[in-house]
Amino acid sequence: MHVISNIIVLALVAGAFALVQAVRGNRLWREALVELWRRRRISIVVLGLFVAVGLLDSVAWVGGAGSGTGDQVAASKPRSLIDRAFAPESFREVSYSAPFADIGFYDDAALEHPGEHILGTDILGNDVFYRTLKGVRVALLIGGLTSLIVIPIALFFGVSAGFFGGRIDDVVFFVMTVLASIPSLLLLIALIIVLGTGTLQVCIALGVTGWVSFCRISRGETLKLREADYVQAARALGVSERRIITRHILPNLTHLVVITFALLFTGLVLSETILSYLGVGLENSWGQMIDQARNELSRTPIIWWNIAGASIALFTLVLAVNLIADAVRDILDPRTLRERQ
Amino acid sequence: MDARSIGTRRCGTRVSSLPWGAGRILAVMIAGLALFACSNDPYPDADQGRKVLYTSFIQAPRTLDPAVAYTTSAHAVTANVFDTLLEYHYRKRPYELVAGLARFVPKATTWADGRVAYRFAVREGIRFHEDECFRLSQSDGRRTREVVAGDFVFALMRLADPEVNSPIKSSLSAINGFDAFGVRLTSMRKEDESFAKLQPHEQYVRVGGMDGVATISPLEFEIVLDKPDGQILYWFGMPFTTPTAWEAVAYYDGNDGRDRLADHPVGTGPYYLAVYDKQYRYVLQRNEDWYGRTTVAPGTVFPSEGEPHDVADGLIEPEYFGKQMPFLDRIEFRRERESIPRFNKFRQGYYDNGGIIKESFDAVIQNDRLSEEMATLGMKLDKVTEPSIYYIGFNMDDPVVGREGGDRSRKLRQAMSLVINMDEYLKLFTNGRGVPAQSPLPPGLFGYDDTYRNPYRQVNLQQAKALLRDAGYEDGIDPKTAKPLKLTFDAGRTTSQDKLRYQYYINAWRQLGLDVELAATNYNQFQAKVRRGAYQIFTWGWIADYPDPENFLFLLETSKARSESEGPNSANFKNPKYDKLFWAMKDRPNDVERARLIKEMLAILEHERPWIELYHNEAYILRHAWLKNAKPLGLSYPVYKYLDVDPGERARLRLAWNAPVTWPVYALLVVLIAAVVPGVVTFYRERQ
Repeated sequence: MHVISNIIVLALVAGAFALVQAVRGNRLWREALVELWRRRRISIVVLGLFVAVGLLDSVAWVGGAGSGTGDQVAASKPRSLIDRAFAPESFREVSYSAPFADIGFYDDAALEHPGEHILGTDILGNDVFYRTLKGVRVALLIGGLTSLIVIPIALFFGVSAGFFGGRIDDVVFFVMTVLASIPSLLLLIALIIVLGTGTLQVCIALGVTGWVSFCRISRGETLKLREADYVQAARALGVSERRIITRHILPNLTHLVVITFALLFTGLVLSETILSYLGVGLENSWGQMIDQARNELSRTPIIWWNIAGASIALFTLVLAVNLIADAVRDILDPRTLRERQ
Repeated sequence: MDARSIGTRRCGTRVSSLPWGAGRILAVMIAGLALFACSNDPYPDADQGRKVLYTSFIQAPRTLDPAVAYTTSAHAVTANVFDTLLEYHYRKRPYELVAGLARFVPKATTWADGRVAYRFAVREGIRFHEDECFRLSQSDGRRTREVVAGDFVFALMRLADPEVNSPIKSSLSAINGFDAFGVRLTSMRKEDESFAKLQPHEQYVRVGGMDGVATISPLEFEIVLDKPDGQILYWFGMPFTTPTAWEAVAYYDGNDGRDRLADHPVGTGPYYLAVYDKQYRYVLQRNEDWYGRTTVAPGTVFPSEGEPHDVADGLIEPEYFGKQMPFLDRIEFRRERESIPRFNKFRQGYYDNGGIIKESFDAVIQNDRLSEEMATLGMKLDKVTEPSIYYIGFNMDDPVVGREGGDRSRKLRQAMSLVINMDEYLKLFTNGRGVPAQSPLPPGLFGYDDTYRNPYRQVNLQQAKALLRDAGYEDGIDPKTAKPLKLTFDAGRTTSQDKLRYQYYINAWRQLGLDVELAATNYNQFQAKVRRGAYQIFTWGWIADYPDPENFLFLLETSKARSESEGPNSANFKNPKYDKLFWAMKDRPNDVERARLIKEMLAILEHERPWIELYHNEAYILRHAWLKNAKPLGLSYPVYKYLDVDPGERARLRLAWNAPVTWPVYALLVVLIAAVVPGVVTFYRERQ
């Protein structure tokens, strides 16, 4: 499992490099990126940090250094760079301790690592900061992977339905209506019970329930674009349908794709939180942390750091992605582009 | 406008006729003030000085039929409406049976052929509650009749009747002819339609009764068991075997506007069910006819002997010793669906007892004691250790942890038992509610030894590591794979909260270098896994049916093994020596020999470790100081005849705790005036 994950990371990094190279050759994209950096410097840095943590947590191997104090069980399992940096098997306490505390929460006993737990420790004594960082990968995986499944499918069906109309439109629209009329949370839970609880299964379940809205938007936009003057002109000149779609329809949908990606991404990360709350979420996710911590808020004295760690991380990631997507949309939308110049 | 119409109960203020707008506003204000001046007491004024106990229920029980009712909510009614032949001594622990409706606790007589007989002698002058199902008596003009031995026999027949569907049917099958009676009944009903239409008591007579149950005289009956059953008498201490009137069963069939028997109990007890509104309230009213008002018996007079510490702890008031019961006139049950209002009303003094809700646990309990705020209100906290055990079990059929591995597996189990720290666990997960278990036997049962400390239930990491080394798993490494030993922990709950608990055990075992994987599925899947035998380590609990050590020790007996008979011995523990001791112990009276046998059995469990005993659950019950003699029984039978209240004190404290807070009304008034004045000013200015 960890070998596949390593290969995927490698592929992602290579793909990112290739993309950067390709973009540098294109004047339009290069200017767009420069404009984006000018507008959303902080958000990009924050998102970059999240992605870096996610990638570091995905590179894992068995054996090697950093296994804490001779924990054989840990040494026999693949551990990521984040795991190695923290050595969570030895970097733990008996139970709760407040952020930067020197003593335990319950019994005032001295901690093993006084003052080192930035976000305190949870009920089992695990470092909350470490758990928060572990949640980054799950969130990116849920958001990213599902969006990558959903967007192509939604775009394909939406554009086909909108552009060709007729029977294709009827079928696609019928499927969409059926899915939209089932309460999505119930469908989600039913799918997860059938498919089982794994990362891929949860992604698929979220994908099945998530593609409808974007499909509807892209179909509507395509219907509008189909009747645009330049498309009519291209038709009259005898340009093939395939070419019309790739030259005229898809580029004009780009801003929609970007904004949908952002909304979808943040929505999915939040959905996973709800799933965890219902007991069908993923291990090590922020949702699970929040769910475990829900009773802690009603304690006196209150234990806030567990829920705070996960919530702040969740909030920061969602906000950064939303801000970036907003700027990207402004930059890429042909209409606002014209206004700007 | 009459302020009464706003909805206040006792305070009406008449408002004289004023100009339209001002009058309306003033009326509303005064009505508001009147509301605040009123009390929030939900009960009628007339009840204020009365000896009434107030308590709550969440959901009315499905049935009050004594042969079927087997839930805590039903027992709240049935334990007080019905009398039983035998009763649990209110103050003695371990639990002891005393005579109730029976004149004495019967002794077993063993017959030459190995059968065992018990002869019950019923007290004279016991009468059923007055009820319209009985014939009008010519002599005193009342509708009731005296209880005879036949009513007990009739109750036993109903328990055997498959159509009644009693949950304890299988527990009484030791009675000679008990099962055969049910079989005959079913076949007769199938064959003969006219028979099936008869009333139950007529059917029972036609079928010919039960071989092992016989009425000797109008007030004596005898039951004969095929084989000795040391636990049989406990069933005569539960409402299942209460005398049942055939008239009531025949009359309350739910037809022609009559109640169903499930909603209309007719018993002999100290209270009768006067009001039964399942949606809103039910009322138990004192039975003036109760036999205990004239008879001096263990079940009718407050016991003067018992655990000495219950008096010292303030649970029992010595002034009640030897007094004729019951003390309360009435018990009021009000429906409370939500936990927070229920707790709030308790805190305001409108319920006399209550549990502790999760939301306010830390406000009520601090450092395992009542918080100062609650203690100054005079509240009392009772901790009851429930007759229950929670444990981690090993599947003894498993090649790695089970009996096949012999000494190697035993040492592994011992080592795993040595690292589970229950004190810490209880502190983290249950707010300290629970008693760390040393053996399967919970406190309060015969054979429980307060001083016994299981050497494998004390935390000792060094010894555990040494044991593991002896077992051949040095530092947890499995020699076969040269990797940490992989084990699977199966659990039947999937919420994050429960997973944390499981993770606690797994972390403890990880200290030994063991790689335990959690397989948490939902309860149905877990049960399916257990049925298939596809499990290694699991966790489960058991709550006693009756307070006898047999009810816990049988969980590890061979014939009850999951793999043998789908029994409750999920650990599949099979040990011939243990079985021999078990059968010798099972039907013995509680004597020195029995204690010795139990001790020997516990020693086997201590060494073999089929279970890691975790804890006995502890319930925290809150009550007000005016509730007297509320010694928790632990079993789910609230017996109200022992309880008393001090209504004067209650009324005084209720008044003190519910003083109306009036400042918001004045504040509101000021805000209202401040809001209206500018408008009025503007209005007049514009007019000019």
